[in-house]
Amino acid sequence: MTEKKTFSQWITSRRVQQVLICIGFTVIPLVLLLIFTYIPFGKMVQFSFFKMTYLTPPQARRFVGWQNYIDVFRRKDCFGALKLSLYYMVGAIVQLFLALLLATMLSFKTKGGNFFKGLMFFPYMISGIAIGFIFKFFYTRGFVLDTVLQWCGFNLKDLPYWLKDQRINNWSLVFTSVWRYFGQNMVLFIGAIMSVDSELYEAASLDGANKWEQFRYIILPSIKTIVTLNVILSITGSLSSFEQPYVITNGANGTGTYFVIMNRIAHTSQKVGLASAMAVVLLMIIIICTILQKLFFKYIFRDADSDDESYKAKKARLRAEKAAIKANKARLSQTKGGIA
Amino acid sequence: MKKRLLTIALAGAMCLGLAACGSNSSSGSDEKKELTYSGTVLGENTDLKADITVFNHRTDLDSDDYNGTTWKEYLAAFNKDYPNIHVTITTDTNYADDALTHLQSGDYETVMMIPAINKSDLSSYFMPFDTLDNMKKEINYADTWEYDGEVYGVPSTATTQGIVYNKKVFEKAGITDLPKTPEDFIADLQKIKDNTDAIPLYTNYAAGWTMGAWDAYISGNATGDPTYLNQKFVHTKNPFSDPGDDTHAYNVYKILYDAVSKGLTEDDYTTTDWEGCKGMINNGKIGCMVLGSWAYPQMEAAGKNGDDIGYMPFPMTVDGKQYATAGADYSWGINNSVSDEVKQAALIFVKWMTDKSGFSYNEDGLPVSKTDDRTKLSFDGVDFVTDEPALKGEEDYLNEMNSESELNFNNGGNEKVQAIVEHASKGDESFDDIMKEWNQKWSDAQAANGIDVKY
Repeated sequence: MTEKKTFSQWITSRRVQQVLICIGFTVIPLVLLLIFTYIPFGKMVQFSFFKMTYLTPPQARRFVGWQNYIDVFRRKDCFGALKLSLYYMVGAIVQLFLALLLATMLSFKTKGGNFFKGLMFFPYMISGIAIGFIFKFFYTRGFVLDTVLQWCGFNLKDLPYWLKDQRINNWSLVFTSVWRYFGQNMVLFIGAIMSVDSELYEAASLDGANKWEQFRYIILPSIKTIVTLNVILSITGSLSSFEQPYVITNGANGTGTYFVIMNRIAHTSQKVGLASAMAVVLLMIIIICTILQKLFFKYIFRDADSDDESYKAKKARLRAEKAAIKANKARLSQTKGGIA
Repeated sequence: MKKRLLTIALAGAMCLGLAACGSNSSSGSDEKKELTYSGTVLGENTDLKADITVFNHRTDLDSDDYNGTTWKEYLAAFNKDYPNIHVTITTDTNYADDALTHLQSGDYETVMMIPAINKSDLSSYFMPFDTLDNMKKEINYADTWEYDGEVYGVPSTATTQGIVYNKKVFEKAGITDLPKTPEDFIADLQKIKDNTDAIPLYTNYAAGWTMGAWDAYISGNATGDPTYLNQKFVHTKNPFSDPGDDTHAYNVYKILYDAVSKGLTEDDYTTTDWEGCKGMINNGKIGCMVLGSWAYPQMEAAGKNGDDIGYMPFPMTVDGKQYATAGADYSWGINNSVSDEVKQAALIFVKWMTDKSGFSYNEDGLPVSKTDDRTKLSFDGVDFVTDEPALKGEEDYLNEMNSESELNFNNGGNEKVQAIVEHASKGDESFDDIMKEWNQKWSDAQAANGIDVKY
């Protein structure tokens, strides 16, 4: 008869330890995720159907059904604020092009390349609040930006009020955002470009490909995953832009983005239900945007990867298969006929 | 081993509990002794020996660079009268929150500025100074921290609502009499614009809360009625309509709209700078700003020309009389769990701060003490109005109205005042239309909250 194991022996045995670690590593993160993400999210969805403030006791909260959602779509300030996201989306696209261009340039041998990389990545390391303050003074009438432009020969009278003029103040804020994030995008792109086998360039240049062709046919296809990721992050980021307008203008003067308005409704006016509904609506919009982008990129990069095939190719293949089946059938019936 | 540790910890906790009980019961049994504010006479009991600690929010008075009287100087003067009472003063920049933490920990200073707690909780932390009737003979604003007829707090100073201005700029502009109506005020701002280089009225738009500060003028200053803000406002039909006599909320905000639309404010309101404005008004680059009297000493201290800064009543006259809303600032409270001797020393300290130190005068406040009624605020002929609390059962009405209407009066509703500046500057919406919108929101909120319209 084998010796009976004690508990401590059993618990320290390799097999049990393995199981324990497996369970530990799955359960703990899941529990944390549940407690800090999914349960609060569920609560938020629940709140969005109530009329309540933060301090309203649970029994005094009034169920209002879809009213909060109807309000989100009806109120001028809620949904109208999403229009401001368009500014930030344009900014995001400019930012990505800029980052991709600089990354490509810097990934070839450039004098002082590391210095420039550091210089351009630097803004990302400053806290958003500090950037807000920097740019508040940057845009102040007669301060940094105006002074520099005056050196270049502009007349102060011809210069616009960067934050006061509602036609351009959103662009001013978008510029701040681009300034802050393009360095980070660039570093991500450089990282991806580094992983491209340098022999490919050599081979390409032997075949007579110029730099643009090298970029178009070697670099871009190789880093498409990271490009996709960056685009998705930038677009969702621009839907939920908050820091720049909140710190620089406090969302006043027509710069209140969706997030700033949501924050105001939730914390100043204490309409928690309405703000929760706004958050849920924004989530839906972001999900839809992400799916659309995914589909878009699948189409764009279809011929880069042999796994993906273009719509045309697929159609052609299907047609060919159908034709083959038809031909088969025809042959079969012929042979049948022959037998008959 | 673990068990033993636990036992020790538990035993320790029990001992602490017992000790706490002990000190409580001893102070309870001695309570028959006269320990009242009115019973404390300054100049008596000068050989009393005690150590007291004081906790407050005035970090600026800790610095030797402070232009006014510092804590060190107050203490030196106090120890001349009471050499054996040793006072340790601690200050905190995050006072409002940290004071609550101190209270909740149970281990808090002998004397502290009472933070935002419920009046019903006062007696569990602080000792009563005296009955309300007795206190009313000793100080103003006695009912600020009153509960069940007992007073638990003595205001350190009192503030009011007016306009902080630069006397030299006004003089240079040729303004001899301070304005008493909105019309005069706008005319004076125009004079400043025409005759000086100063910005007539600095809005402080960008800071946000400085715009919300305009809300403080719609009650006493604009109506002269102490019951307006907390009792009548929520029941008023269309409170933002023009009453036609240059008073009430309509005309308060109209001053701002008119000043901006006539170009009497700064060039670019979006980049105003709160910290910078203090030095600017001190140097005569700004004519005036609409801020509570708490801002007055800060403007004086911000540069070399402190004497140029003045504080004037809000330019609004109700039935031939000017009013100003006044209220207590932070109030002193005394720890209820210390020994009687320490309590006596604390009482002496608070009474000395109120009656003899000149703190309220030095800090440009309104007088708190009945025996020391000096003040630097030139509010001759102005009646002070203190807002009365809401009626029983209606305490939450204003909050509910603020939330539902999203106008948030005196409650961080900065955007609505900023919007006035924006519309005035762009000229895309008339002032009457803005007020019509506010009235609509107010009426909708009254309907949504089921608050009846009485006025």
